[in-house]
Amino acid sequence: MKKVVVAATLAAALAVLATAAWGSTKGSSRVAAPANAGNALVKCGKTRSIGLLAPFTGPAASIGINQVHWANFYKNAYNRSHKTKIKFVNEDTMLGSANGTAEAVKGAQALGSNSSVLGVVGPAGSNEVKATTGALKGAGLGFVSGSATNTQITLDGTRTGFFFRTVPPDSSQSKSVSAYIVNNLKLKRVYIIDDQEAYSTGLADEVQAQLKAKGVTVGRDGVSQQQSDFSSLINKIPRNTQLVYLPWQLPPKGQAFGQQMKSLGRNGTKLMGSDGLFDPLFAGLGSNVYDSFFPVNPADARVAAFKKIHHGTELFGAPSYVATQVVAGAIDRACKNGTASRAEVRAQIKKTKIAASASLLGLQVGFDKHGDMIKKPFGIYHSVKGVFVRVA
Amino acid sequence: MNWSLFFGELVSGLTLGSIYALIALGYTMVYGILKLLNFAHGDVYMVGAFIGFFVLQWLGGALSPAVNGWIAVAIMFAVAMVGCGALGVGIERFAYRPLRNAPRIAPLISALGVSIFLQNSALLLWGPQFRSYDTFDLIGVKSYSIGNNFFISNIQILTICVSIGLTIVLALVVSRTRTGKAMRATSFDRDAAEMMGISIDRVISFTFFLGSALAAAGGVMFGLVFGQIFSLMGFTAGLKGFTAAVVGGIGSIPGAVLGGFLIGLTEAFATGYLPGGSVYANLYVFALLIVMFLIRPTGLLGSPVIQKV
Repeated sequence: MKKVVVAATLAAALAVLATAAWGSTKGSSRVAAPANAGNALVKCGKTRSIGLLAPFTGPAASIGINQVHWANFYKNAYNRSHKTKIKFVNEDTMLGSANGTAEAVKGAQALGSNSSVLGVVGPAGSNEVKATTGALKGAGLGFVSGSATNTQITLDGTRTGFFFRTVPPDSSQSKSVSAYIVNNLKLKRVYIIDDQEAYSTGLADEVQAQLKAKGVTVGRDGVSQQQSDFSSLINKIPRNTQLVYLPWQLPPKGQAFGQQMKSLGRNGTKLMGSDGLFDPLFAGLGSNVYDSFFPVNPADARVAAFKKIHHGTELFGAPSYVATQVVAGAIDRACKNGTASRAEVRAQIKKTKIAASASLLGLQVGFDKHGDMIKKPFGIYHSVKGVFVRVA
Repeated sequence: MNWSLFFGELVSGLTLGSIYALIALGYTMVYGILKLLNFAHGDVYMVGAFIGFFVLQWLGGALSPAVNGWIAVAIMFAVAMVGCGALGVGIERFAYRPLRNAPRIAPLISALGVSIFLQNSALLLWGPQFRSYDTFDLIGVKSYSIGNNFFISNIQILTICVSIGLTIVLALVVSRTRTGKAMRATSFDRDAAEMMGISIDRVISFTFFLGSALAAAGGVMFGLVFGQIFSLMGFTAGLKGFTAAVVGGIGSIPGAVLGGFLIGLTEAFATGYLPGGSVYANLYVFALLIVMFLIRPTGLLGSPVIQKV
């Protein structure tokens, strides 16, 4: 009898878990927003809340924290220059952790149920954007990412009007990269190594397809983002390879790869990184290094001020500064009469127009009907004496 | 046969194996004395790497060290080894000694707790960022070649030599000194050794000091060879070190070294030759562990425990 009771209890517990799991899966993939999503008016008050969905911890924390620093850098500047203040409600997405996107979904649900949150900055990863759409859209929240570059997330129509981004999509970056390799560098043998993350594999796929279409011989491999020993992988790269393309997100890893290439006698092979490697650490590898990046102006006074505070050199998080700027600006405009709804904030995000001089990206920020930036150029940079100089 | 790839993977495997061997030695020594799997050992290795990094910063950084680059490297090794040795003694004193007579699961859980404590403390104190040793600027990495197929860098030579040198020193300490004799006696029969007048506490503390110092040397080597260190680097390295110790025969010092090199070579050759190897090298490494358990449960140089029935 006792066994039967235990078995029944276990079966019931399993059934509850399965139902909960099914429900949460449905919840995360459910994307149709209720008709009144986010129409409730809240009193704006003197301090306005913005949700910040970012990888504060977990394997991608090293880049996540850079984004958080940039977002906070804008927040502090805003609070110094405005009578009204903004504050972040932080939610950790633990990007890259074993839980997948579960933490991001939990964070999005928490923000959705916090009535004081009017808009969201983040999440960082494209997979997280997909996973959190249900929760954020269901709560009527507009969300602006400073790093999710997968081409399809704005084009598939699933989150139109809710999701925006302050980075150009992979399609824009891959075109610039493949065109430069073929037309300017005139190379015939390229090796691509992705870091197994959605951002990296997506971009690598696009560049690979475009190069192959242009008659370039392309080798392909992948490596875990947590790997530090690249020597075995480097041994596999054919010695006649002219350029290794690294669509990676961690500049120190790019630096380590380049250093290990040199120590294995591969000084002659060119290296090209993606926006994630646009950093003095990668540029410092020498004159055979190239990179693609949106046109952030490294000479901007705000970049210098940021470096002073954080002693860091990474510009990867700069678009998160702009994402915060977009959301804070939209809340300001929506709050003109003292109250605002999430729907009003979304409408204002859509209407964003930030002048090139104020945007930090070096270009005017505004969004098209998909939520992508209207202007989305990618520049190609070449390392000259350890500094990236734009060449295309 | 692509000899360039073969020799490349051989050198990579030996370099990596040298580091795993140093970590494995700590695991095997502690297990030999206490029959404890010290899962915090990988994180001691991480702390060693960070101590080396901060010593380098204290000396003026890789670009402008206050002393010659090679002397800076020697100081980094020395300080990291002493610092981690002390950390190991502290961990034993406060996390394991009070549980010495508790059921065996208790110190195991305590070890996992210490591991998580060290990881998160590092994350809190030093942040999640990668730190760069900038070995190129510090000592100027040079690549040597024999013919067109064999390449090895000065830092890879240093790593392999330091690892072998430290193992020889350890073997001499264990086999030729009074303390080493006490360690062997304690490992053989702790109660009998205590009755013979050996201070068990002191022997165990010394074992932790030695093991942790070797892990620290491994951490500094890792920073020098691969350039980057980070606060979560200890977990996987610790697991690999543990695997090396088990493959070699846990409790056996030569076994730990052999296991370390075997794991390093497996990882390198799997990356170079097996499908998806660069991504799934760990799969092959841990598959080796399973195969080893099936074929020879005591490891390559381990001896079976004889139980009185």
